[in-house]
Amino acid sequence: MPAVQLTAVSKSYRRRGRPPQRALDNLDLLVESGGVHGFLGPNGSGKTTTIRVLLGLVSADAGGGEIRLLDQPVPSGLPDVIGSVGALVETPLFFPGFSGRLNLQLLAEAAGVSKARVEECLELVDLRSRADDRFKGYSLGMKQRLGIAAALLKAPRLLILDEPSNGLDPAGIRDVRELIRRLGRDGHTTVLLSSHLLAEIQQVCDSVSILARGRCVASGPVDEVLASRGTGDVLVQIADPAAAAGVLQGAGFSVSPADGALMVHSVATPSDITRVLAGSGLYLEELRRVTPDLESAFLAITGDQPHDGPTAPGTAA
Amino acid sequence: MSAVVEQPSPRPTDPVTARSSFGSLLRSELHRFRSRRFIQVVLMLAVVGWIVVTGIALTQYGNPGADEIARAEQQIDADVAMSEQYREQCLAETGEAGTGGPPPGTSAEEFCGPEQTREDYELAWYLDTAPFDFASSGFDGALTFAGIGAVVAALVGATWIGAEWSSRSLVALLFWVPRRMQVIAAKAVVLVAAAALIGVVAQAGWLAMSGILRAFVGLDADLPDGFWSDLLQTQARGVLLTVIAALLAFGLTNLVRNTGAALGIAFVYLVIGENLVRAIRPLWQQWLLSSNALGLVQQGGYTITTYGDQPDASGMVETTEYYLGHLQAGVFLAAVTVVVVAVGTVLFAKRDLH
Repeated sequence: MPAVQLTAVSKSYRRRGRPPQRALDNLDLLVESGGVHGFLGPNGSGKTTTIRVLLGLVSADAGGGEIRLLDQPVPSGLPDVIGSVGALVETPLFFPGFSGRLNLQLLAEAAGVSKARVEECLELVDLRSRADDRFKGYSLGMKQRLGIAAALLKAPRLLILDEPSNGLDPAGIRDVRELIRRLGRDGHTTVLLSSHLLAEIQQVCDSVSILARGRCVASGPVDEVLASRGTGDVLVQIADPAAAAGVLQGAGFSVSPADGALMVHSVATPSDITRVLAGSGLYLEELRRVTPDLESAFLAITGDQPHDGPTAPGTAA
Repeated sequence: MSAVVEQPSPRPTDPVTARSSFGSLLRSELHRFRSRRFIQVVLMLAVVGWIVVTGIALTQYGNPGADEIARAEQQIDADVAMSEQYREQCLAETGEAGTGGPPPGTSAEEFCGPEQTREDYELAWYLDTAPFDFASSGFDGALTFAGIGAVVAALVGATWIGAEWSSRSLVALLFWVPRRMQVIAAKAVVLVAAAALIGVVAQAGWLAMSGILRAFVGLDADLPDGFWSDLLQTQARGVLLTVIAALLAFGLTNLVRNTGAALGIAFVYLVIGENLVRAIRPLWQQWLLSSNALGLVQQGGYTITTYGDQPDASGMVETTEYYLGHLQAGVFLAAVTVVVVAVGTVLFAKRDLH
């Protein structure tokens, strides 16, 4: 059962005196249950709008499109599944004059969650010692941690986190990532992690969807998405780069120098390099396929993606 | 945040079943209401204000001696007699030819005014330090305390939902209870209960204050027949006004989504709008909120008297009276409140929330 499923969902915002702004453009998105799913996209790509649509805060455009959350239609079935969905959307929203503990207790009471769970969640985000301080006195990082604690209160099957690392110090960021990894591995929770921190997505997520201009332009396991953007370049370390370059060029390879090594471009089968060089009495010290990091893939996918050419979710772009 | 990594698992130790119901939402809202610092400050100020006003009132009334009261009663009797003498003289003169009688269409009785009786004179007018007369002050006090209660309840109602909008915690609550109408209904129910309590406490405060004044500096006289029945009805209508004021402020603030803006609109309406209507279109006073509030609570309703611009040929200024009864005023105020709350609620249910 997919945790999240959007099919052909559009959303336009009306603007006074200007044409409507299309935030989501026939968006297709599929997040399977379990693991951590990254949600990437440049500013204004529609990430937060997608999350708001999923949570019923924003209504999708009428006509066409289907939204399902934990197999329930949104918004009609939302009350049935909201008890299994935890969310932190952008900045945490709490009463500034109330303590962190009281803010959580009020939410817990509204949802029928026990007070003991409040204390567990405060402990989980290391806020128990400051739980009786007023929320408005919290640092940005503490506010974010309280937001995460609130999202965890319901022990959700689906946890939606929108930029959870905002305002956290390096140790806090590390701990939140660890927490997300553990939740993703527990076999019970699906984490949908929206972030602009590409390294975070790459470190934490099992799969990723990339949004651009309101459409999903790439989706699938992180490795597949990265591989799909691979150039086929291979880095060759060898004792005599000049001789090796001559041999490889003679065999039809495109070669360029790379810091005392050689970069062989558009290689379909790296073992061909080994065979050609060995045939000339040149032996490799290292041969490594160059894979792009997520940042390169992200820029390549979102930077030159034609507006009308999205990739169907579930397949690598 | 090192404790995060020390935790064995972010899963709960006991199974968590998050299932919201209207009852749990109500409990949560009640908890929030009790915890609000604004409410605590209002309570404290109310207690302090009550003590101060009671103390001042105790110094404003006195216990005149029997001889002083007797002198005052004698003076009242003399004034009543003198008034009656003037009236009889007026009636006699208007009947004589060539003395300039009443204007056409006006009887001599109307021209000379009604007969004065002892009940038209208050003992306090004739005493340097009058005793507290609950029979004459009871209704005015209930009206005043209803007004104070309504203002406090309106502030509570406006800040109750306004704080939610300013902190955006209303949006966060929808992550837990996505039925928006249910969320607003729970808040409104808690507010109605709280406003009713404010109204009851305000009226109880008046009864307590008048009890103290009667005990220490009060007039030692029996209360008229039916006094308590009439007073309690006035107080009950005062409680109703308190609830209406709270809901109206709640609805207006939910509509504009900002406490300051809502209170600003209310201030401009009451101070500028209503006074402009009184000055420019006095006949429209029957549609003013303050007129209807008075009509609802005041014993016997409220009669709006308007005067013509120019005197007629006989020098008389035409007056028009419009009577606002309890029922009419209550229905009008309730209708305005329902419309404002409903529009705000429907917009809340339909609009996108960011």
